[in-house]
This record gives sequence, C-alpha cells and structure tokens, in this order.
Amino acid sequence: MFKKRKQGRTKKHRKGDIPTGSFSDIAFLLIIYFLVATTLVKVKSITADLPAGEKSNQTQSEKTPVIRLSTNGIRFNDKDVDVELLNERLAALELPEKEESKRTIMLESEKGTPYDLYFQAFAAISSNGGLVALVEEE
Amino acid sequence: MGDIAFLLIIFFLVCSEVSKDKANVRVTLPESEKVEKMEATVVARIAVSEDGEIYFDGVRVDGAKDVEWGVRALLTNTVTDDQRHVQFKCDANLPKETFEPVLKAIAEAGGIIEAVGEKTN
Repeated sequence: MFKKRKQGRTKKHRKGDIPTGSFSDIAFLLIIYFLVATTLVKVKSITADLPAGEKSNQTQSEKTPVIRLSTNGIRFNDKDVDVELLNERLAALELPEKEESKRTIMLESEKGTPYDLYFQAFAAISSNGGLVALVEEE
Repeated sequence: MGDIAFLLIIFFLVCSEVSKDKANVRVTLPESEKVEKMEATVVARIAVSEDGEIYFDGVRVDGAKDVEWGVRALLTNTVTDDQRHVQFKCDANLPKETFEPVLKAIAEAGGIIEAVGEKTN
C-alpha cells in the first residue's frame, strides 16, 4: 500500500534560473557612480606665492604695508585690527590694480604665533590680490 | 553587454585613485571664509602634523631642508607657474617655530604655496 502511494506521486521540477536581464543596468549605474565620484575630490585652499631670497632694504619701500602677528592678535601698520578689519584695509589698498612689485605685503610674526592666525593673514592677503613676504627675525 | 560593463567597473576600481593623501597625518585644519576649491594641479603635498612631524608626499622627512631639496628637484623642469603649486597642510595650533621653516623652504625652492583650510560655516 505504501509502495503504491509513492509510485503515484509525480515529481515537480522547478526551473531555478536567476534573472540576469537587469545586471547590465546595475553595472552601468555603478560605472556612472565611479565616474562621478572619482572626479569630485578637490581640496579647499588659498594661494600664496612667497618671494624667495634675502631681505633687501633697497627694494622695500617704507610704505610697504606690514602685518604683525602675535599671540595677542593682528596689527596692520602698527594698529590693532581683527580679521574683518584687516580685509577691509587690504581691500582699500586696491592691490590687484597695482603692478606686481607694489602688491607685496610684509608679514611679521612673534614666536609662538599659531598657524591659524597665519592662515587668516594669508587668506586676507591672497584674496585681496597681495603677495606675501615673510619677514625673518634678525 | 553586462560582461563589458563589469570589465569597465573593474578597470575603474583598479585605476582610480580617490585621494593621494596616503599618509594618515592628523591635522586640525584652520578655518577661513576666503578658502576656495583648489583648481591647480599640485606637484607635491607637504603636511605638518599636530605633533610637528613633516611629511613630503606622505613620507616622513627629517626637516625643512629635505622639503626644500624635494620641491627643488620636482621643479627643475617646470616652465610655467601652473606647474609650481605645492599643497601645504598644517595643524592650526602649531606655533610659528614649527611650520615657518617649512613655508620658507617651499618658497626658497620656488613653489607656490596652496595652504589648505576649511571654509567657515
């Protein structure tokens, strides 16, 4: 009786194919992703072209603007300023319209001046069309 | 079609370089409203970490003199100003004595400094 029942059962064979039609779509989406993502890496920065060479008194006019940095803050031509005021003062100089030799801004700093303050001064000078000249200690 | 697409994916995965900042240099970047996205191609990447160590293209160097020689060597065959850009990354809290020699070294070697910072929100 048991045997009969087993013989009577018909086996159902399922077809187990994975649909691959959408694979190329996914692949091209991934390609587009990589194409876009790999070109987006850009670092934010400011540009500073520092003139090289020794300090020469002959080429430095007395009227060359001087920025002095210390742990206490920023001084522009011997007057205390904050970053905003420094930007205003530098903008007032209209440096981009001047010839290259007259666009130099002297940058002095005391010992212990943090890079953060240096960066603020660099950014202000660079954005207003100036050229940074680092003043070395005697 | 799918095979070609997957080959292209593998090609991009192998060839693309997401970032050339290979060194894991710990740096707190300074902030400014004036920073802009860097358009120039840089010839070298100099970094000064928060503990004052100097890295040249991800490799630690002993001092500013090494930076000067390295940049000078890279700039020997340069013709235009566009080829003189050097990326400079430095920790915001470092004192002048640590980073200024590096800045001077880059300038002495003829590099145009691209100082990296974050945009103030």
